[in-house]
Amino acid sequence: MMLLGALILLAPLVHASVLTLQSPRFTITSTNASQARAEPISLVKKASPPLSLGPTDTLKITFQVIEKDSGNGVQPHQTFLRFFDEVSQEEGIQPLRVNSAGKAKFELNMAKPPLSLPPTSKDPLKVTLIIGSHLHSPLKVELFDLHVPASHPPPQHPDEASFHPLPVIQHTFRPDQKLPPTTISAAFSALVLAPWVVLLGLWAKISPRVPRLFSPSIVPFVATLTAFEVLLFWYWIELKLGQVLLYGAILAIPTVFAGKQALVSIGQQRLRQK
Amino acid sequence: MAKSTSSSPAQTTVVQTLWKAYNDQTPDRLKFVDAFLFFLMLSGVVQFAYCVLVTNFPFNAFLAGFSSTVGQFVLTASLRSQVNPENKDEFKEVSPERAFADYVLGSIVLHFFVFNFLG
Repeated sequence: MMLLGALILLAPLVHASVLTLQSPRFTITSTNASQARAEPISLVKKASPPLSLGPTDTLKITFQVIEKDSGNGVQPHQTFLRFFDEVSQEEGIQPLRVNSAGKAKFELNMAKPPLSLPPTSKDPLKVTLIIGSHLHSPLKVELFDLHVPASHPPPQHPDEASFHPLPVIQHTFRPDQKLPPTTISAAFSALVLAPWVVLLGLWAKISPRVPRLFSPSIVPFVATLTAFEVLLFWYWIELKLGQVLLYGAILAIPTVFAGKQALVSIGQQRLRQK
Repeated sequence: MAKSTSSSPAQTTVVQTLWKAYNDQTPDRLKFVDAFLFFLMLSGVVQFAYCVLVTNFPFNAFLAGFSSTVGQFVLTASLRSQVNPENKDEFKEVSPERAFADYVLGSIVLHFFVFNFLG
């Protein structure tokens, strides 16, 4: 009940805050008076046919801003005319001067078009009146569509060229390297293995005597060395670096002792032979 | 290397004399090492020729193979010079056993890097 009462009290306030236009009019005057036109502007329906201005015509708009409730003239804080070309998305904003009684007058002389008029083409400009006041609800009125003579095309923004999507970057990679034909590979494999034949042939010819190779003092050294080579081969096949270093460190201990034993025994034999 | 032969006819006798002297005066053990050096040289030359003439495509494999021959050659050559009885005066501190131990250690390290490169 309290709430309803508050709303009833507030209602006139809300109502008083609505603005409207009184006797809005446009007048087109022409130097040759051929296209002269003067009509009131309807707030609900755009003028038909759309307004059309020649290169020397003048458009005059007059209206008074009033409170809808009391009918008193109001000077709003902000009043703008917006010219908007829906096709090219160009727009111009023209501030209007409204006197303390709420009366405003705007003249658009096409012989001297204002800077706020956007670049135009043959498409119509949508003319909107925008009124702002911190005491009232904002008001936005679509006044009419306006044909004006086409201007120069809008100048291109200096940064326009930079603001486009760049072409998709195409990465080019070096083609995969290929193995040579099998015959060439096979021939060179045989060639690379050929020195082994030479080596084995020469060794067979020299046939060095290794009388102590399998003596108990030498065999452990040879075995540990073989184990080292096997470990490295295993590294190639599957082991990781850390594993190899670990196993190698472990294998190094017996290798050192076996090697010392083997080499000392050989050294002693060499000294005995002297 | 002493074994390499020249095809120039003027030097044939010189080379023959050299070859004969090598065969007669070199201990079998050094010949054994020399055969290995010769093998390493041939192997390295063939691998390098393949790399230059055909492709170096598995480049890591080429690096591993070629560096193993070169590295082993260097290690073996130094072993040979240290165990050569004629160089005894130059390597008084280094016994043949010590030289062989160095050779083994160097070879294991070399083979570790070679298998590392082999991928």
